[in-house]
Amino acid sequence: MVTTERVEAVLARVRPFIQADGGNIELIAVEGNSAAVRLTGRCAGCASAHMTLYLGVEMALREQMPEFGTLRLR
Amino acid sequence: MIAPTPPAPDVVVGRSARMRAVFEFLRVIGTSESTVLITGESGTGKEVTATLIHQGSRRRHRPFVAVSCALFSESLIESELFGHERGAFTGAVKDRPGRFEMADGGTLFLDDIDDVPLSMQVKLLRVLQNRTIERLGGTRTVPVNVRIIAGSKKNLQQMVADGKFREDLFYRLNVLPLTLPPLRERREDIPALMDHFIERYFRRRGEDVPPISDAVRQAFLRYRWPGNVRELENACERIAQMCSCGMVGIGCVAASVLLHGDGPLPELSAAAAPPPAEPPVFESAPTPVPPSLSQDAPISLDDRMRELESSLIGWALKVSHGNKSRAAELLQIKRSTLGDRINRCGLGHAASSAHDEHRVPTVAST
Repeated sequence: MVTTERVEAVLARVRPFIQADGGNIELIAVEGNSAAVRLTGRCAGCASAHMTLYLGVEMALREQMPEFGTLRLR
Repeated sequence: MIAPTPPAPDVVVGRSARMRAVFEFLRVIGTSESTVLITGESGTGKEVTATLIHQGSRRRHRPFVAVSCALFSESLIESELFGHERGAFTGAVKDRPGRFEMADGGTLFLDDIDDVPLSMQVKLLRVLQNRTIERLGGTRTVPVNVRIIAGSKKNLQQMVADGKFREDLFYRLNVLPLTLPPLRERREDIPALMDHFIERYFRRRGEDVPPISDAVRQAFLRYRWPGNVRELENACERIAQMCSCGMVGIGCVAASVLLHGDGPLPELSAAAAPPPAEPPVFESAPTPVPPSLSQDAPISLDDRMRELESSLIGWALKVSHGNKSRAAELLQIKRSTLGDRINRCGLGHAASSAHDEHRVPTVAST
């Protein structure tokens, strides 16, 4: 079951680092088995940072919740 | 695999007490000819250390031959180490010297000695005792003058106790024992190692070395590094490949380093925190202060412009509530142009920097 709490728990693991770089990763919505997040800060405009965080966070979400669908960046 | 390791491939970096003890050991053994047993987890630098020992010895101008005993099947190990005569087995079409002969006069590094099967350990013991080898299928006894350095991932003494390693061979190898600490036990060396490898890989690409953000340093300090220095080196190489914005930020770091930072070894004790490292700087809010541009670090104008562009687009999308036509009006560009720019910046839908609209130029230079 993909819940806001479980998604937040995963995001909370990377958030301190992103915040230390002056950015943030915010959970916007959980829709079914998928979630949408928003990345802000210096790395928000960097395509390779997107890929890194996006793939890494999505993988971590699937580790915690095998039924997790897709992570969307908004 | 076969070629002798080229001289001076690396250095050992570290100022921790654990590493100072290692350096002290290397200094003390100096020009000794005795057998060294290096124990350390994968990636802690056994081969690098063996190279250093070789270079500090009187044999430094003779070959250094490294061989992993884990690479070969049992029968192949014998052929690899001792060589074979023509016709010794199918496919042995000519005489071939083994690693012992190739290292004659120099140093032979037998890595992964803990993977040598028991039956082979007997043969190895005889060679180390008699300092002579016999090629496979040969009758000649060849004297070899080789200094042995053995590398082991596991505690050989424990393996002896478990009956997996011959006691007599263990004592033959364990003349000068050296233990290399895993990286997690010398975290204070992580900043120096980061700087060392990041500099190496940016230089290798012919690029200037960008500054490293505190967040990246924190992430590296908190990660467990199960693959030790080798893993850290690879992470630095990855950063050099990924980072193009003139500052190594958190987005350049492999997510696994971030996600597993608070794994089984969570607490980074204050005592282990290094003097040169930055204090923890986790902040709950984005800092409005841009990093100083006065520091003597290169920036990429193109990347800065792209950041500025994406920030402004993000602002426009934010205040227009995602309405691209309205956003385009705000930016005084055509709607189609805006679409192109969004794609070009690799923004997708993610550009809206909610917090940043009132200080867009500042954030852009962050």
